[in-house]
Amino acid sequence: MSTPTSTPSASASASVSVSAPVSNSASVTAVLRSEWIKVKSLRGSVGSLAAVFVATVAVTVLVFATVGRAEADNADAEPLFGAFYALNFGQVAAISFGTTAVSSEYVNGALRVSLAAVPRRGLFYGAKTAVLGAAALLVGLLTSFTTFLGGQAFLGEHAIGLGHPGAVRACVGGGFYLALMALLAAGLAAVLRSGVAVLSVLIPFTLIVPFVIGDMAGGVAQFLPDRAGQQILHEDPSGMLGPWAGLGVMAVWAGAALAAGWWAVRRRDA
Amino acid sequence: MLGLDRPTSGTATVGGRPYATYDEPLRHVGALLDAQAAHGSRTARNHLLALAASNRVTAARVDEVLEQTGLTAVAGRRVKTYSLGMRQRLGIAAALLGDPAVVLLDEPSNGLDPEGIVWIRELMTGLAREGRTVLVSSHLMNETATFADHLVVLGRGRLLADTPMREFIAGHSRPRARARTTDPARLRAVLARAGHGMTEADDGRWTVDGVRAEEIGRLAAREGVPILELADEEASLEEAYLALTADDTEFSASSAALQEA
Repeated sequence: MSTPTSTPSASASASVSVSAPVSNSASVTAVLRSEWIKVKSLRGSVGSLAAVFVATVAVTVLVFATVGRAEADNADAEPLFGAFYALNFGQVAAISFGTTAVSSEYVNGALRVSLAAVPRRGLFYGAKTAVLGAAALLVGLLTSFTTFLGGQAFLGEHAIGLGHPGAVRACVGGGFYLALMALLAAGLAAVLRSGVAVLSVLIPFTLIVPFVIGDMAGGVAQFLPDRAGQQILHEDPSGMLGPWAGLGVMAVWAGAALAAGWWAVRRRDA
Repeated sequence: MLGLDRPTSGTATVGGRPYATYDEPLRHVGALLDAQAAHGSRTARNHLLALAASNRVTAARVDEVLEQTGLTAVAGRRVKTYSLGMRQRLGIAAALLGDPAVVLLDEPSNGLDPEGIVWIRELMTGLAREGRTVLVSSHLMNETATFADHLVVLGRGRLLADTPMREFIAGHSRPRARARTTDPARLRAVLARAGHGMTEADDGRWTVDGVRAEEIGRLAAREGVPILELADEEASLEEAYLALTADDTEFSASSAALQEA
């Protein structure tokens, strides 16, 4: 800006109430709050977050109330992994949540306004990711435990409880699984800058690919984010990855997507 | 200037600091970028609340700027139901949120009805009177001329002018005076002797190019030519701007003028 501009602004700042210099932690809290307001004020993101819970629990009730006992009676039934069947549906909502929350910044150039308010892009992206991740994890854990306990309520004598080997681990892991799905989607949304693009990559990837590959064990398939992440839901997972290693592989996928998203946010013009 | 786009070269500072180094920039600089730049599915109030929260501006201040921009009644409506003029007001409300000392407005009268244009003009001069710096970018010369004090003209990435408005108009237009007389023939003869031509305007007045009123008055008085009316004719900002850019025949229509009110 030219000299004549800075002179009046300097004199003006004396008359305008400007708060004392803030510490970094204060502005982090402020930006976190701002991002939370953004999430909860958007129908799409609130809706998909609610849908994570609603879809998973609804499908669980539907399936377990109808074919639950028959399936559980099956000789090669895997009661723990089976309990989380509906997570396949809930994860679609988790993906939508991560996608909408980020892609909303790319609608009508909203990002320009956001970055004008929070020009430190690392703070902006970090706060957004943290809020998304925390919200998805909270809802994910609630969903995971409710699904497990709710589904078992229909199984009578076949029911397993949280005391079943690996049950608590699977419930907690299920929550992290949903949160990581949301973050994977969020990172991709920041790279692709379009919700439709993310959904058309991730939905087929998580819904169709596992069916096509089927139970084909071994090979690269078990390192795909959803396959690896779901290892945590098995009582005694087969394949190369253990429960936590599997979730770790999924976390690496989500981390890579978030890193790519950070690169895009940092480097590109808003 | 706000660090949204990566410059090919150079730096921009506001109040001596790069914009991105401000912790709570909305408290120092308010900007209206693009009226469309709000997510359509959010309500105006929520849009402002999210912005306010990031800079620790209170919710009460959000209601204040909604009031100031006349959006209180529609604050609970989703932005996609807004007209262009209402979005423009929302953008201005966002710019004023942090009570900033510097206000940057890009094409502020865009999409506003005549009432709105008067409103934004009064708002801008009001902000300037309070001691704030108001930087407006606009293509509308005549609208700009009604409120700007200082002018910065940019064309093709080059600075073409950076002067007070009055000086700019005076410097880029030829002086011209308008006169009414009972004896045009004698006035013409007097002026011709001094090397000035005189042409008749539609309303019975005469215009004299290249000379100021005081010169004509002096000549007419010396010769005893009766003058009924005599005034300098102010060139418009548009004319001055065209005169400036006419020097550069390559100049395209995509130039922008920036004014500081």
